[in-house]
Amino acid sequence: MSKLFPKSVNLLPFKLLAYAAVMGGVVTAGITYYATPSYANVGYAPVQPVPFSHALHAGQLGLDCRYCHSNVEKSGFANVPTSQTCMNCHNQIKTDSPLLAPVRDSYASGDPVPWVKIHIAPDYVYFNHSVHIARGVSCVSCHGKINEMDVVHQDKSLTMSFCLDCHRAPEKFIRDPKLVTNLDWKNPEGEKAQVEQGKKFVHNWNVKPPQSCSGCHR
Amino acid sequence: MKRKFEHPAPSERELTGPRYWRSLDELSATEGFKAQVAREFPEGASSIEGVDRRQFFKLMAASFALGGVGLAAGCRRPEEHILPYGKSVEMTIPGLPLYFASAMPLRKGAIPILAETHQGRPTKIEGNPTYKPYGGATNAIVQASVLELYDPNRATVSTIKGAAVTTAAVQDLLARIGTDAAASKGAGLAFLADQSSSPTRAALVAKLKKKFPEAVWAEYEPVQDEPPVAAAEAAFGKSVKPVYQFAKAKRILSVDADFFHSESGSLQFARDFAKGRRVTKPTDPMNRLYAVESTFTLVGSMADHRLRLASSHMLAFVAAMAARIVGGDYASLAAGLDVDAKWLDACAADLVASAGKGESLVVVGSHQPAAVHEIAYRINVALGAVGNTVDFVAIPENKAADIAVLAKAIEGGAVKTLVVLGGNPAYNFPGQFDFAALAKRVPEVVRYGYYVDETALVSSAHIVAAHYLESWGDARTADGTIVPVQPMIMPLFDGITELEVLAHILGEGPTDPHTLVYDTITALAGGDAQKSFNQFLHDGLFAGSAYEKVDVSPRAASALTAAAPVKLSKDNLEVRFTVDAKVDDGRFANNGWLQECPDPITKLAWDNAILVSPRLGKELGISPKGWAKQVTRVETADFVQGREQAYLCEVTVNGRTIKAPVHIQPGLANYTIVLPLGYGRTAAGHVGNGVGHNYYPLRTSDTPAFATGAKLTVTTERYALANVQEHWSMEGRDIVREANLDEYQKDPGFVASFGIETETPSIYSNLTAEEFAKLSPEKRAQITAARSTQTDRGGSLFKTPEFDGVHQWGMSIDLNTCIGCNACVIACQAENNIPIVGKQQVLAGREMHWIRLDRYYSDGKMAGGVWGGDANREIPEDPQVSLQPVACQHCEMAPCEVVCPVNATVHDEEGLNTMAYNRCIGTRYCANNCPYKVRRFNFFDWNKHAPDQVYLGPLGSQQQMPELVKMVKNPDVTIRMRGVMEKCTYCVQRIQQAKIQQKVKAGASSDVTVPDGTIKTACQQVCPVEAIVFGNIKDEQSAVSQAKAREQDYALLGYLNIRPRTTYLGKLRNPNPAMPDYADLPLSRQEYNSKNHHPASGNEGGKKEHGAASLSNAKLFGGLS
Repeated sequence: MSKLFPKSVNLLPFKLLAYAAVMGGVVTAGITYYATPSYANVGYAPVQPVPFSHALHAGQLGLDCRYCHSNVEKSGFANVPTSQTCMNCHNQIKTDSPLLAPVRDSYASGDPVPWVKIHIAPDYVYFNHSVHIARGVSCVSCHGKINEMDVVHQDKSLTMSFCLDCHRAPEKFIRDPKLVTNLDWKNPEGEKAQVEQGKKFVHNWNVKPPQSCSGCHR
Repeated sequence: MKRKFEHPAPSERELTGPRYWRSLDELSATEGFKAQVAREFPEGASSIEGVDRRQFFKLMAASFALGGVGLAAGCRRPEEHILPYGKSVEMTIPGLPLYFASAMPLRKGAIPILAETHQGRPTKIEGNPTYKPYGGATNAIVQASVLELYDPNRATVSTIKGAAVTTAAVQDLLARIGTDAAASKGAGLAFLADQSSSPTRAALVAKLKKKFPEAVWAEYEPVQDEPPVAAAEAAFGKSVKPVYQFAKAKRILSVDADFFHSESGSLQFARDFAKGRRVTKPTDPMNRLYAVESTFTLVGSMADHRLRLASSHMLAFVAAMAARIVGGDYASLAAGLDVDAKWLDACAADLVASAGKGESLVVVGSHQPAAVHEIAYRINVALGAVGNTVDFVAIPENKAADIAVLAKAIEGGAVKTLVVLGGNPAYNFPGQFDFAALAKRVPEVVRYGYYVDETALVSSAHIVAAHYLESWGDARTADGTIVPVQPMIMPLFDGITELEVLAHILGEGPTDPHTLVYDTITALAGGDAQKSFNQFLHDGLFAGSAYEKVDVSPRAASALTAAAPVKLSKDNLEVRFTVDAKVDDGRFANNGWLQECPDPITKLAWDNAILVSPRLGKELGISPKGWAKQVTRVETADFVQGREQAYLCEVTVNGRTIKAPVHIQPGLANYTIVLPLGYGRTAAGHVGNGVGHNYYPLRTSDTPAFATGAKLTVTTERYALANVQEHWSMEGRDIVREANLDEYQKDPGFVASFGIETETPSIYSNLTAEEFAKLSPEKRAQITAARSTQTDRGGSLFKTPEFDGVHQWGMSIDLNTCIGCNACVIACQAENNIPIVGKQQVLAGREMHWIRLDRYYSDGKMAGGVWGGDANREIPEDPQVSLQPVACQHCEMAPCEVVCPVNATVHDEEGLNTMAYNRCIGTRYCANNCPYKVRRFNFFDWNKHAPDQVYLGPLGSQQQMPELVKMVKNPDVTIRMRGVMEKCTYCVQRIQQAKIQQKVKAGASSDVTVPDGTIKTACQQVCPVEAIVFGNIKDEQSAVSQAKAREQDYALLGYLNIRPRTTYLGKLRNPNPAMPDYADLPLSRQEYNSKNHHPASGNEGGKKEHGAASLSNAKLFGGLS
């Protein structure tokens, strides 16, 4: 047999095993990374041109989301407010705060404030805010507790599987549309009651979230 | 209402350099591009010899550094910004489109539109439904007009003697022209304008004429789209024009008229014609169309009886008809007419038979001489048509001078300043005038135009015109209704409007176009000025402003004399100059959408060949040598892979010669050759330059539409024509199912007696197709609606998708009213961001249109055998045409889906066959498995690279389309990249938006069903004849369910059991049994019967062997032995 297999072959199985272990490790590490929320940019909290605090405005002062994001019930986009909207209050209060200079400049010149986008859906995804709001999906379901964030960060993965989790089981998340902007609301009777009530809503409102491609991709 | 804008003065940067790349060369010269090249291939990286180690490491380090930068950049998501408005904008909600009423001016008949704007950016044009005659329909040209707004080749800056100037300098120039002319009462000043229907322009011109009585105001349009007023003056003594009411006409005779396309108001005519054509139940009446024509137009393709006759013989023809209908001394004029007298007798008798009810109509093409129109008017009077099927309306007198007057004035040296408003005289002047030479004799030629075109090149100053979507203005529709032209966007460049040009020259009164229009309209409206103006803008029309109907009575006929028609032959041909179906008279030559759209009849894209009849082709020896032209493409040697190898020929007429390719076109008058105008531009822009051939030099102003005495000589040179449908025969198959009206009345379900379906077990239910057709419409609607959600697919073993959605979408296309006008093709292109690919790629069969119009010829002579008799070896001279729009049929059991390895094309729960572009890996298996061939593959990055750059890819000089070009895209539809399959989606973006809106409305309630009629697909919305119906087939009351429940409903290739959601309604013809060319069955039907061994005539009896043709084909090709 030694004619067929030189001595060096003796180590081959071990080498192969070692290679397999390393390769397996690399693959595992790859999958682990790409499948984790960090790959989906959860926690992404870029520095904004104006350090706007949602915790202050929406949390402490209790402004309704729709005061600024005024078209969220009509349009697919939940618009970032125009500088004019900011100036509605800030021409009375903190009128010469240096932090608000970009907003004042923008209002004077008409040029936009370059807010950095945090929640990004790919170009081939056509997410629509208005329909979710109208049918009882709260802001908190996708954006987390914005009213507690000083600096807004991405809270959920916003991957396709994240969307489908809800589209396949809307009863877990759906609530009375009047409560969608109440980010602190949770079904007072617990999760089980939420599902039961959700099922009722799904049935009564004929909720059939699309699960096929055409729902979001056009 | 739009707010008015002020023209801002251009900045320094705008004057010194263009904001957008005007050409790809310009782009290639930019620093950024050079840097890009340098990054890709570091200098010296490819030559290792002679490089020392130090240099090598430097290079390597640089490369690694670049790679590192690339890698890092690629791994991190780029930072994106949200840019809200600084100040809130009235009515604007980001993400939702706004619609404004406006109009597209075109010669004397503007088309009312609604422009869809996204944050101030117009992207799509729809018809304005408030204007009832057009009912919200538009045509291909209107649909494509939005592309021109974003044309990178459009003029961007005004120039005087080649130097860029500001708008202020332009205004100074115009004012100076005005003051100079005022001193001489206008002597030395001349205007050459194109026609316009604008009341404000008319008012300004009247003021100009008053202030400058010596000035020459000339108007020129290369093509006529309204009948000559002289004819009405001769017949009635009044300056009137006819407005045809096709909806009321039961018998129509069209004399060389293309009233579906090239007549002013053709949208209304097509729409009304379809109303008389549409048959929904056997008791419905149906109109009958006789068409006499030299070319093959869409009108001819819809005709029940079609006579091929040279355009120069039309006078004799109408005289012969007048002799039969009006009586009197017309016989002498008809002498020399070579037409079967039986044809004339039977046609005249039929027209007269309907005359008592005022249901007959004779229509003459606008290009015909006044005498032909005059006789036709007298026929219409005799037929009782006036006041019934044709109204005469008073039109404002046009006192514009003829171009001959202008040319004479220039030659006499009397013109010092010539102002050319629009038009393109250097390109399209009649052959006897050389505009370039004339322009040289004028010291100052000021050109106002949208492009730096042929005329701009011979002018001393060029003023940039604003697009109509950037302008304030007004116009009239063909029936005279005043419509607003509103700006949708600030002028992208320094364009100004025609009204401003005139107002500045006039030098008195307001110069702002908004004020000018406001003054005109409010003066007409009276009352509360602002309120009525707002109403005008809101409605998009001025109600009740149409031209007034007038009663006309014929004057005593003055003796008409005319030379006998010239006998035509191979050596004495008639040439006929036609308006092109796409680029019109050449003004839309730089529009890629229109250029790429195949001609509705010839199916040629990116070209205008000389069309010759099959007989002339044979006599010239250029007929294809193949021996089975109708049966198969094999051996038709003149087609190579869809490339029609045309012969280049030389045409000589009026002493001038042009060399161009010839295309053999069935259905032409034997010795008429057709020369479509509008191509062969030399300064149209990147798209239009050098496309096709220019036939304008052959025309003279005496013979603008047709001339005799032409010669055609064939050269040995060949030229590739991009023909998208070179094979015209249905080969006796059941693709377009047709019947005559009488057969339909006896057997409304005639479509069920076709095809393999009649032989196979039913695939729809336990009823056969024939049994199904016999049920009541209500029952059929019920079954169809129920079927749409069933998963039991007629006993198929295959597991089928679940259709449990709230709606089930479906479409019905009425082949009986479809006129094949191509409007749907362009509307789809505009809505769905479909790219253009260029002539070379069309030659390779890579056109991207999601909807195509198939055009089939049949002459009924196809013999039964596979190769058949002699008849199969001829190109039909006098065929019937069957048209069929085909887009994705959204099969319920879609063959494309089962072959996709990555599930990129799957069904949704509402029956849509969806495409997930981001999943597609481009195997093209789906296209291969699609029986309808409706899937389109992105062979290149069409949206990134211009068609002439695609092969270079990233190495080409173009890395991105210019920003300007991207602005036309619909933001609701994904831009597809290279390697991805695409196809009709039933306008899924419109479906989703309607569903979302309904759900928002429903809120916490269950009312989520979208009401019928809310969703209109782009093709449906544009269709002037309402042939396309789309909706929810689960609802048996919906319009689409009702259409599908009609007996004529059939599925294309239905026997495949793929259950297409798009179905067709069979085509009907209404021939007159008394006519000599009467066919008791449509010709395609005769071919079907003879191919399938039916008795030669009659559809009943005989042994049915529907599969016989395919079987014997298979045997011949060795498939079976």
